[in-house]
Amino acid sequence: MSYQKPIPLKTLDNSPYWDAADQHELRLQKCMSCGEYAHPPGPSCAKCGGTELSWETFGSDVKGTIYSYVISYRPFLPGFQDDLPLVIAQVELENPSGVKILGNVIESNHEEIKIGKPVQMVWVDITEDRALPQWKLL
Amino acid sequence: MSKLTEKYAIVGVGESERSKNSGVTPLHLALDAARAAIADAGLNATEIDGFMSYSEHDSCTSHQLATYLGVRPKYVKDIMGGGSSTEMLIADAIGLIEAGMVNTVLIYRSMNGRSGVRMGGGGWDVNMLQTAFDGGSFIIPYGAGSPSQWFGLFATRHMHETGITKEHFGHVCVSAYEHAQRNPKAFFYGKPLTMEEYLKTPDLSFPFNKHDYCLESDEANAIIVTSADRAKDCKSRPVYIMGMSARQCHPHAHYWSDLSQVAADYVAPDLYQNAGVKPEDIQVASIYDCYSWVVLRQLEAYGFAPRGEVGAFVAEGNLKMGGKLPTNTAGGMLSEGYTHGMNNVLEIVRQIRHEYKGTDRQVENCEIGICTGWAGPDIAGAMILRN
Ligand SMILES: [Zn+2]
Repeated sequence: MSYQKPIPLKTLDNSPYWDAADQHELRLQKCMSCGEYAHPPGPSCAKCGGTELSWETFGSDVKGTIYSYVISYRPFLPGFQDDLPLVIAQVELENPSGVKILGNVIESNHEEIKIGKPVQMVWVDITEDRALPQWKLL
Repeated sequence: MSKLTEKYAIVGVGESERSKNSGVTPLHLALDAARAAIADAGLNATEIDGFMSYSEHDSCTSHQLATYLGVRPKYVKDIMGGGSSTEMLIADAIGLIEAGMVNTVLIYRSMNGRSGVRMGGGGWDVNMLQTAFDGGSFIIPYGAGSPSQWFGLFATRHMHETGITKEHFGHVCVSAYEHAQRNPKAFFYGKPLTMEEYLKTPDLSFPFNKHDYCLESDEANAIIVTSADRAKDCKSRPVYIMGMSARQCHPHAHYWSDLSQVAADYVAPDLYQNAGVKPEDIQVASIYDCYSWVVLRQLEAYGFAPRGEVGAFVAEGNLKMGGKLPTNTAGGMLSEGYTHGMNNVLEIVRQIRHEYKGTDRQVENCEIGICTGWAGPDIAGAMILRN
């Protein structure tokens, strides 16, 4: 059965992030003018307006802690009806510190979800050539 | 915006019937609301020369409305937008009047929000959603398609940092429902809510249960703005705009990237400076309430209680009649009806006019009120009104 949920759309500004994700790696946009990482990536730096952007790869060992979360008991988008309750978490990365990436905390007992809990990034192969970064409790 | 005190006023307010299934088009609802506001002001329709509306592609146009009021307007404007659009359009109207382009402006919101296009309603094209807002492709694939989830991320973090609990959300809801019991036109008139009931209601999306969500209704609201000079010729008691900060923004359009701040944090200092008053001068409030938590976060932003003490502020009953800041006294969007904030504007105008004088719905002797708008953590605006 084909994947029923929305597949991240690659755009002019974000494709290096999703291309890396497809290879099970984290890649982040960085501003060469002010040194800030940007997530989500954009056409220029949201901190300083700088246009000298680069991409930095952080490999496949990505850890962080839950910064905030919601737990949805009904689907708010089509395709999520079998994923309830759905944990959506904003995760603060250990490295580079402070950068936050949203994802589902999968294969978890939702009662264990708390702010500050350590998590690890995992990549779920959702189609033949696409993978979706997700989080698992450590 | 320079100091506005006594230069501009709201001189008319009106609404259509409120229902779950109007059976008519938004144009019909808008005409009902506009006629009511025009009658309230004691004007002729032809004295209105500017018409403005906001919508989410679910309304009629200002040109249509003017046409069927028998008016050829000098200025029409229809914007896309939800919360805080009323404040923004009032600011735009003031600018146009100040520039001499128009004299009197009618602003409306009309929607079949329950029987037509539902905000909470689904049926959206997910790929459209991914591109509809900044960073959409970083949240939609994770099932985050509702404001209750986006705002919920802010709420959970805010609870963690400040000690706000579900019980504090409950106080916001219970206070709103209590107000609705004095308003026969409120959806939840005759349906009070106890804290016990609130707390045992299961979450739809933690940290929110169904009581934390606003309603959906079919209705139209309209207000009329003009100069203080022209207000003298109106039959209604003018409500003067002391100050506004019509639109402020979160630093990032993808506002989930920073849960620690909201646009309202930037509105408040501007607003109080423009109006020349302090939070303690305000006696009645309309605080945008698409979710209960949004009220709590704004009470903090607008300085009604220090960060960390907002929970205690609502637990003391300060949002109720007789409290320090009776809020959303018609029941608000949690329990009266929902027009992206304009029903709350109508109510505060009526409070400041003392239109309920002699009944238990009147906030005794209120002179100064605040009305806030919240599109989300991303965009907000507010105004301070006086009689
Ligand atoms: Zn930069």
